[in-house]
Amino acid sequence: MKLKLVLSVSLLTLAAAALPRMANAEVAPLDLVQPIADYKIYVSENLETLVTDTKAFTDAVKAGDVDKAKSLFGSTRMSYEAIEPIAELFSDLDGSIDSRADDHEKAEKDPEFTGFHRIEYGLFTENSTKDLGPFADKLMADVTELNKRVTDLTLPPEKVVGGAAALMEEVAATKISGEEDRYSHTDLWDFKANFDGSRKIFDLVRPLVEKEDSAFVTKVSGNFDKVDTTLAKYKTADGYELYDKLTEDDRAVLAAAVNTLAEDLSTLRGKLGLN
Amino acid sequence: MTTNDNKLVTTRRNVLFGVGAAGSALATGMTTARAAEKQGGQVTDAPVSDKTQERQSFYGLHQAGIVTPRPAAGMIASFHVLAETPADVERLFRTLSSRIAFLMQGGTPPELDDKLPPPDSGLLGPVVPPDNLTITVSLGSSFFDDRDWLAPHKPARLSRMKASRNDALDADLCHGDLALQISSNTPDTNIHALRDVLKNLPDLMVLRWKQEGSVPVLPPKPDGAHESARNFLGFRDGSANPDANNNALMDKIVWVPENGTEPEWTRGGSYQAVRIIRNFVERWDRTPLGEQERIIGRKKATGAPHGGGNTEHDVPDYSKDPEGTVTPLDAHIRLANFRTKASEANLILRRPFNYSNGVSKSGQLEQGLLFICYQADLEKGFITVQRQLDGEPLEEYIKPIGGGFFFTPPGAQDESDFVGRTLLEAAGHDVVRKS
Repeated sequence: MKLKLVLSVSLLTLAAAALPRMANAEVAPLDLVQPIADYKIYVSENLETLVTDTKAFTDAVKAGDVDKAKSLFGSTRMSYEAIEPIAELFSDLDGSIDSRADDHEKAEKDPEFTGFHRIEYGLFTENSTKDLGPFADKLMADVTELNKRVTDLTLPPEKVVGGAAALMEEVAATKISGEEDRYSHTDLWDFKANFDGSRKIFDLVRPLVEKEDSAFVTKVSGNFDKVDTTLAKYKTADGYELYDKLTEDDRAVLAAAVNTLAEDLSTLRGKLGLN
Repeated sequence: MTTNDNKLVTTRRNVLFGVGAAGSALATGMTTARAAEKQGGQVTDAPVSDKTQERQSFYGLHQAGIVTPRPAAGMIASFHVLAETPADVERLFRTLSSRIAFLMQGGTPPELDDKLPPPDSGLLGPVVPPDNLTITVSLGSSFFDDRDWLAPHKPARLSRMKASRNDALDADLCHGDLALQISSNTPDTNIHALRDVLKNLPDLMVLRWKQEGSVPVLPPKPDGAHESARNFLGFRDGSANPDANNNALMDKIVWVPENGTEPEWTRGGSYQAVRIIRNFVERWDRTPLGEQERIIGRKKATGAPHGGGNTEHDVPDYSKDPEGTVTPLDAHIRLANFRTKASEANLILRRPFNYSNGVSKSGQLEQGLLFICYQADLEKGFITVQRQLDGEPLEEYIKPIGGGFFFTPPGAQDESDFVGRTLLEAAGHDVVRKS
């Protein structure tokens, strides 16, 4: 088995301080430079989309256009969900942008409850944009700030590679049940974005793993494909069906795929010699 | 002065002499508390058990965990099964069997690179102790119904559990394609086993519900006699259970027989009925003792039946009590078992655990009985007994909220075999016996 711990390759000569010490001699440390750089571009593109989409979404909220704001909710979140492992590096912003009512003591009535889900609650449960203006302004400001902070950020390789599994853990632990978008039931949009974000990371490092363990690569791709096929059944002209349309059987298929991806991708860091 | 009084004086003296008298305490026999202190026990020391090496065999004609004496901790976990093709079902069965064989035997999990997640949760330490573990695999009706190639081979009496008149079934606590009954000496061993199975079969099984339970332990009796454990109503539960050491009796009551009306592959298997039965314990505790005893049909302290007898093993004679003046006609034990020649066909082997989950929205205790029973014929067994019990006075104090009916296939004969093989072969799937 080639995963066996081999003596660390000295990286002292490398200028890039963010690069990890490589334990797996089969993957050269510099091999990760390009995937990480490519991922940074992916993150930047998603953040730009997020800023643009959030502007349109919050404008609709502030204009009092409930229907338009509702229709933009699911799609606006996707670029955030796709890069969640990076967005979550800033816990203050992640809290104000994406926390749920149960993260707060007084739930929906808690003044600390802000961001997407607070606005979602107003739009879908109260069917109104009343009093949502300040939340819209704050969300826009937070998203802009996130974009700025990530621009200046050197992405830690273990966070990037680990992000593939982290996204699956999120889905497995708190999303598969449909509790994330509990007022709008647009969970399938989130699923799609989470899976795409995870698969992006996997695809970027895939050539590095493929040489070592092609069976692993085949299995993981197969499970991503299974997810895509299952979600495709729920595709509509402008997005996805509501979560309640998801059948018990398909939910089990997704749950099994998520759990398996989480198990398999949990070895990705180790396979690349990352701590 | 009696011997007991002597002991009491000694104990008092130790207490009186306190720490300074350690030497004399040793000489006269230490109290338990002081003995622990002497050994340097710390508050977070692990409790000690001399039973961690108790081991049950996974291999045999029947699966373990059915006639195996029930240990202190049990669990039912129910799964949705994703395996659809014969090849995937075989992988599911084989993997389950090999994990169960390892967990019941105990041992050291393989070591991997520390950059990878460890293969074992480690919650029982680097060497997994057997701790009297059994894991019993059973299949639900939907396991057969949802697979065309298996449907013709469904056990003849296997059905989806229907609600009885007193049931308030919670869909999230009912049924399942596959159920594992996990029992051992400690809840931690059961949890370790469940986590191992989940980790090894994430693509073929998704957990739907689980219920853990326990059985109160008793000190050994000086004469070696056995007693039935008590349920959360405070009554002995299992007094009239058939003798699990009597193979001929088990062949009649528990195991699917040869030459019956069941498919050949089921021989040596059994039907499993699981019920999560909530007990309204606050209300029960506010019920007069006499009424409790009339409702159950036994004395609470001893477990003896009404009208004579000193122990739970005394058998009530209903033929002399046709009017129910001694044991009410609607007493639980009388409705559950008529004790006639004909009612012998309805005998079941019970293996229940008590469960306690938390607090209801009304602020009452969410607890009750994780009822599990095995029988050769589900219809003559649990379903008939439950029908007899429908409307019993005990219903005021109990509410079944979950569970399901399952079929427990025969055991794996040896290391080359696996649980479920006979089903796959019956379905025309070529199985290679290999170790």
